[in-house]
Amino acid sequence: METTFDLPANIAFGVIAVAIIVAAIRVVTTRNIVHAALWLVVVLGGVGAIYILLQAEFVAVVQYLVYIGAIVVLFLFGIMLTRAPLGEMLDLTNRTMRVGAIITAVILVTIMVFSVVDSFRDEEVDFIAYSGDVAAAQTFADLSAEEQETVLDEVAAIGAEGTDLGPVGRTETVSDSIFRDYLIPFEVISALLLAALIGAIVIARRD
Amino acid sequence: MLLNQFLILSAVLFCIGVYGVLARRNAVLVLMSIEMLLNAVNINLVAFSTRWGVSGQVFALFIIAVAAAEVGVGLAIVLLIYRNRTSIDLDELDEMKG
Amino acid sequence: MTVLSVLAQLSGPPFESLPIDWHALAPEVVLLSVAVLITLVDSIGLERARPLMPGLAGLGLLGALIPVITLAVEGSDRVLFGGAYVVDDLSLLLKAVFLLSGYVIVLLSTNYIAEGDYWEGEYYNLLLFSLLGMVVMASARDLITIFVALELLSIPAYMLAAWRKGDRRSNEAGMKYLLMGVFASAVMLYGMSLVYGVTGTTLLEPIGLIFAEVGTASVITLGVIFVIIGFSFKVSAVPFHTWAPDTYEGAPTPVAAFLAVASKIAGFVALISLIYFGFLGQSDLIEPLLFILATLSMFVGNLIALRQTNIIRMLAYSGVAQAGFMLAPFAVAASDPETSLKAVVTYLVIYAAMNLGAFAVVIALARKTRSGEISSFGGAFQYAPALTVAMSVFLFSLAGIPPLGGWFAKFSVFAAVVNAGTTAGYVMAVIVAVNSVIALYYYAQVAKTMWMDPVPDGDMTPVGVPPSLGWAIVLTAALTLLFGVLPGLLGDVTDSFDLGHLELLAFPG
Repeated sequence: METTFDLPANIAFGVIAVAIIVAAIRVVTTRNIVHAALWLVVVLGGVGAIYILLQAEFVAVVQYLVYIGAIVVLFLFGIMLTRAPLGEMLDLTNRTMRVGAIITAVILVTIMVFSVVDSFRDEEVDFIAYSGDVAAAQTFADLSAEEQETVLDEVAAIGAEGTDLGPVGRTETVSDSIFRDYLIPFEVISALLLAALIGAIVIARRD
Repeated sequence: MLLNQFLILSAVLFCIGVYGVLARRNAVLVLMSIEMLLNAVNINLVAFSTRWGVSGQVFALFIIAVAAAEVGVGLAIVLLIYRNRTSIDLDELDEMKG
Repeated sequence: MTVLSVLAQLSGPPFESLPIDWHALAPEVVLLSVAVLITLVDSIGLERARPLMPGLAGLGLLGALIPVITLAVEGSDRVLFGGAYVVDDLSLLLKAVFLLSGYVIVLLSTNYIAEGDYWEGEYYNLLLFSLLGMVVMASARDLITIFVALELLSIPAYMLAAWRKGDRRSNEAGMKYLLMGVFASAVMLYGMSLVYGVTGTTLLEPIGLIFAEVGTASVITLGVIFVIIGFSFKVSAVPFHTWAPDTYEGAPTPVAAFLAVASKIAGFVALISLIYFGFLGQSDLIEPLLFILATLSMFVGNLIALRQTNIIRMLAYSGVAQAGFMLAPFAVAASDPETSLKAVVTYLVIYAAMNLGAFAVVIALARKTRSGEISSFGGAFQYAPALTVAMSVFLFSLAGIPPLGGWFAKFSVFAAVVNAGTTAGYVMAVIVAVNSVIALYYYAQVAKTMWMDPVPDGDMTPVGVPPSLGWAIVLTAALTLLFGVLPGLLGDVTDSFDLGHLELLAFPG
C-alpha cells in the first residue's frame, strides 16, 4: 500500500497533541485545584479529538458525554464539597517526592517510546481493519489449520500490507461487537455501576 | 499519519499521569492524574483498533464506563474523609504505621 | 483474499446474537439475582428486614453452589462467546472456592456488622457483587472480561474497606486501597492495550498461540510486564504490597479477611489465566520476572511479619509471604506447566480454608479483648481452650506442619519447583524451604503467647462465640485438617484438569 501523507490530518494531530501535553503538564503542576480540573477538560477534549482523527466517532461522542459531561462535573463537585480554597495552594505537590517522580516518569517515557518505536516503526494508520476483526469474528479455534497459519503469519509480519474492505457503519460494528462477543463484560459492567451507585450513596451520605 | 504518533502521544500522557500520581498530595488531584492514565490507555486502544478492528474501541468504551464508577466511588471516599478530618491531604493519612 | 476478509464476512450484519448456555452461566445468574433481591428486600422492609440479610446472602452463596455442582457432575467443558468464557473443571473448582469463602465471610460478618450498627443490607449487597466479579473471573479467558471482572470485584471492596464510616483509620484504609487499586489497574490496562496492539485480539487463546509463535519484541515485553505488575498489586506481592497492612488494619476485620483471602485468590486466578493461557510462550520473560516477585515477597513478607505486634498486621505480612509461596510455582510456569499450575491451585484452595480460619478466631477473640495486639491474646487457652486449639491448627497449617492442610500446599509447591528440573527451580526450592522455617518462628510465637503467657488483665470470663462464628471456625478447621489428612481428595480434582493445550503454548513447533 502506498503511503499517503495526509497534511491536514497531520497538522490537526500536531495541534491537538501539543494542547494535550501542555494541558496535562498543567494538571499535574498547577497550584490551583480548580484550574487543574479545567486543564483536565482540555486534556479530555483533546483526547476526544484524537478519537475523531482515528475515525472512532462513537468513542469520541462517549468521551465527550461521559468524561467532560459527567466526570469533570463530578470532580468540580468534589472540589466544591471539600471546600478547597479557590486560590493558589502551595502544598498540593509533595516536594520530597517530586524529584523522584520526575526521574521515574522520564525513565518510563524513554522505555515506552523506545518500545513502540522499535516495534511499530513507520507503520501508517490506514483504517484497514474497521470492518473485519480477528477477535470479533468467531474464534481462532473455529478456523481451519491453514487459516490459523495464515493469521499467525499475518500477525508475525507486523506492518504487513492490509486489505481494504470498504466503508462499514462503524458504530453499528461496535454495537454488534458489544452485544454479541462482549455480552458478559457488558452485563458485568451494569452490575458494577449498580454496586458503585449503592456503595457511593452509603459512603457519601451523612448519618 | 503514523501509528507511532498516537502511541508516543499516549506514552507521554501516561508518564505525565504517573508523575501526577507519585508527586501530588491531594486525593482529588491524584484521581485526576489517574484519569489521564486511563485516557492514555484509550488512545492506544483506539489507535490499535484502526489496525485490528472494533474490539479496541469496545475495550475503550468499557474503560470509560469503569472510569466513571471509579471516580464516583473515589470522590465519595474523599468526601467521607473530609467530613471526618476536614483535610484530604494524603500525607496526613498516617493513622497506621509499622 | 486474506483471512481478515473471510472473517469480515462472518462478523458482518445482520446482527445475530450468539447462543447462550444458561446452565453454564447459572452460578452468576443466581448470585446476581440474590444481590438484587437483597437490595429490594432492604429497601422495602427497611429496619424489619435487617436481621434477614446475612441469612439471605449466605443462602444465595450456597444456592449459587448448586449449579456449580451440577456442572461439575455433568463434567463436559463449556466454551462460551468464542472462548472468552470457559466453564471447565479448573474454573468450577475456583468458583466453588470463591462461593465457600464468601459464605464463611458472611458468617464472620453476621454479628460484627449487626452489632457495629453499620449499613447492613448494602454491606451484603456489595459483598455479593464483589463475589460475582470473582466468579466471573474464574471463567474469564479474555482481556476485556478479565478487566471488568477485576473492577467488579475491586470497586465494592474499596468501599467495604471504608465501611466503618466514623473511624478515620477505616476511611484511610479505603482511600489507600482505592488509589493503589485504581493506579494498578491503569498500569495493567496499558499493558493490555499493548498486548492487544501486537496480537489484534483480546482472547487469551489466540494471544497464547501468537506469543508462542512470534518470539520476543520490546513492546510485548513491556505489555506483559505492565500486566503482571498490575496484578502484583492485587495479590500484594513485594514491592507492590505497601497498601495491604494499612488497609487490613483499618478495614472492618471481616472485610480484611475478605481482602486477604477472596480478593487475593481472585488476583491469582487472573494471573493463572493470563500466564497459563496467554503469556506462556514468553517464558524467557515471565519466569525470571515471577521468580523475582516470589522471592522478594517471601523474604520481605516473612522478615517484616517477625516484628509485628498487631495480629492483623502480622496476618497481612504473612499474607504477603504466602503470596510469595503461591507465586513460586509460576517461576517454573513454562518449564513444567501442568505440575506448577496444579500446585498453585492446590495452594490457593488450602490457603483459603486456613487463612479464613485464622481471621475467624481473631474476630472471636477480639470480641473479648477489644484489641488486635498479639499480647492481648496472652493466656487465651485458660479461658477459651477451643479457640486456642483452633488457632493453633490454623497457625501451624499456615506454617506448613504435617498433618495439616498447609503442609500439603507447601509440599505441592516444593515438588513443582523441584520437578521442573531447572536451575531456577532448584534455587526456588531452597528459598521456599528457608522461608518456611522463618515463617514457623512467628506463627509459633503467636501460639506460644496464647498457650503459655499469663492473661494480661486477669479477666477469665469465657468468650461468647456466636453460633455463626463458631460454625465458620468448625468448617474451616475441618477443611484444613481434611486437606492435610487426605491430600488425595484435592489431588483427584486437580488431576482432572484438562491441560493438554499448555504443552502447545510452552513448547511451540
